[in-house]
Amino acid sequence: MIKKILLVDDSPISRRMMKSCIPKDRGYEVFEAGDGLAGFEAYKEILPDVTFMDLTMPVMDGSESTEKIREFNPEAVVIVCTADIQIKSITNALGRGALMVMKKPASKETVEDALLKAEEHIG
Amino acid sequence: MDYCIDTISEEEKEILQEIMNIAFGKAAADLAEVINIFVVLSVPHIEILNAQDLPEYLKSQVSSYDRVSIVEQNFWGDFKGSAFLVFQASAGKELISLFGEGSEDFGSESIDALEKETLMEVGNILIGACVGKLSELLGDAVTYSPPRVVTENSTNDAIPVNIFESGSSAIVLKTVFCFNERNVNGFLFLVTSNDSILWLKKSLATFMEQYE
Amino acid sequence: MTLSELIQIFDTVNFGLVVLDRDIKIQYWNRWMVMHSGITSDQIISEPLFDFFPHLSTPSFNRNCKAVLSFGNFAFFSQKLHRFLFPFKPDSSFGYRFDLMQQSCTMGPLRSDDNSISGLFLIVQDVTELATYEQKLVEMNTKDALTGIYNRRFLESRLQEECDRQRRHSRPLSLIMIDIDFFKKVNDTYGHQCGDMVLQSVAAKAATVIRNTDFIARYGGEEFCCLLPETPADAAETVAEHIRAHIEKMENSFEGNSVKVTISLGISDFVAEDTPDTFLKRADDALYQAKHSGRNRFIRI
Repeated sequence: MIKKILLVDDSPISRRMMKSCIPKDRGYEVFEAGDGLAGFEAYKEILPDVTFMDLTMPVMDGSESTEKIREFNPEAVVIVCTADIQIKSITNALGRGALMVMKKPASKETVEDALLKAEEHIG
Repeated sequence: MDYCIDTISEEEKEILQEIMNIAFGKAAADLAEVINIFVVLSVPHIEILNAQDLPEYLKSQVSSYDRVSIVEQNFWGDFKGSAFLVFQASAGKELISLFGEGSEDFGSESIDALEKETLMEVGNILIGACVGKLSELLGDAVTYSPPRVVTENSTNDAIPVNIFESGSSAIVLKTVFCFNERNVNGFLFLVTSNDSILWLKKSLATFMEQYE
Repeated sequence: MTLSELIQIFDTVNFGLVVLDRDIKIQYWNRWMVMHSGITSDQIISEPLFDFFPHLSTPSFNRNCKAVLSFGNFAFFSQKLHRFLFPFKPDSSFGYRFDLMQQSCTMGPLRSDDNSISGLFLIVQDVTELATYEQKLVEMNTKDALTGIYNRRFLESRLQEECDRQRRHSRPLSLIMIDIDFFKKVNDTYGHQCGDMVLQSVAAKAATVIRNTDFIARYGGEEFCCLLPETPADAAETVAEHIRAHIEKMENSFEGNSVKVTISLGISDFVAEDTPDTFLKRADDALYQAKHSGRNRFIRI
């Protein structure tokens, strides 16, 4: 059961877009972080059920942050949400422990789909 | 949203930045398929300038290159302006080895002509990918002028002066690209004039409406 | 406007119009294309373009098609670099210097109502006449009217280019200055028409004697200049001697008279600190020495 969602993205606009796509009627608690390192710190504190992670970010990029989160908690569900959709980047993100990769821009449909997958995974 | 006649707000800049990110991501993915090369496009940077400062700005941006090859192409639609793709002059030869197909008959044309042709083709595709995806996200379809190529010893003569009326402002969208595993990199500048600003502001607002 | 009205226009316009689907199969082939290719619409519609024009299936053409279909951009095939896409006979053979029609082609996307790209169009423009004019203009600008070899203007721009290239890649580069001995005497004895004839035959002979990679230009009155890229001075001496010997053997007949001439030559080879001017000056000095040490010989400095 998903309760807490963490959004990690350096662009406030991008976080706003993402947030608007998350269903509002399910009582999700949504947290935000502005770079990979802040995302990792926030993860440890909040222990969200799902983390949406951008790839290209200052300080620490999304793949490294994903890796760190997964080291900290091997069960962590990280969904990479990126504009960088070249096969190579997607493979890399998956290799570093992301559950799935979704293309930007996010839409209500793709977010719903991702949340379903996460829910299945958590069981 | 904060509407201002001839300039765009910080927020609009951020939205544009995000849209460019998405557009260039799509462009890079499709480029990998079309030209079979993994192209890395940096996070785009947006600058609002006075048109008369434009040549000086472009020059300062590419000052690390002593000889440059510039592919220039205009695009028209609601979104209109000029694209400048700036390569280090040595890129031409490298691109020939990537794209050149010795079998084609260039007749008496010299290697310079082949280089120019390759720059023009690659430039046309790269610019088309970036401008095409960007205008698509903003709900526009643009047409293009044939590309022109200039190779110069110094950037002085290569950067066009007076492409816009002085006094008007210009939005410069800059990205650094590099062909992975190859020693080819450069800058892409998309410059749009006053005429596009109002349309741009409206399209940005429309784009964000789906995320209210 | 109705589709039939539009088709009437497309079939009347003076350029080729081809519509291709995403699989590069032909959807429309206008009358201009029928006229010039001899292939009717019935024969070609729904067929793959490459079945009829296999030479078009190059990586570059395919790449451009893919780009237009993916990005909706335009692709341009200029006459300068491609000559043509479709091998057609020129519209008229009168005054044209090309065996095949020169074309400038543009490819662009066709979009469906939902803005997705459904295919592409190709516009083929006949630019043979323009290309002919351009060629003539370039010739007038680079060639010497009397002798038909390059003129001084062309030589000087070429010299600048070669000097730059030499400096970048430090490849050998040589120059030969040539002057016809006692040319004034030819003019005085047989008249200017004879002088012109001698200039023409010396130029023609020298041009056939030099190698394909060398350039020869008329530099001034009876002075010629030969630029030898990728050539060290020793090899330039061989070329110089070759030219000298051929001119010496050459017989020109003018109004029943046999007019023989010799030439003197000066050679210089490019050194790092050279400018085009100093490079030329040394060849000129060498030529001067050749003149003063008896003519009909070369000197190298």
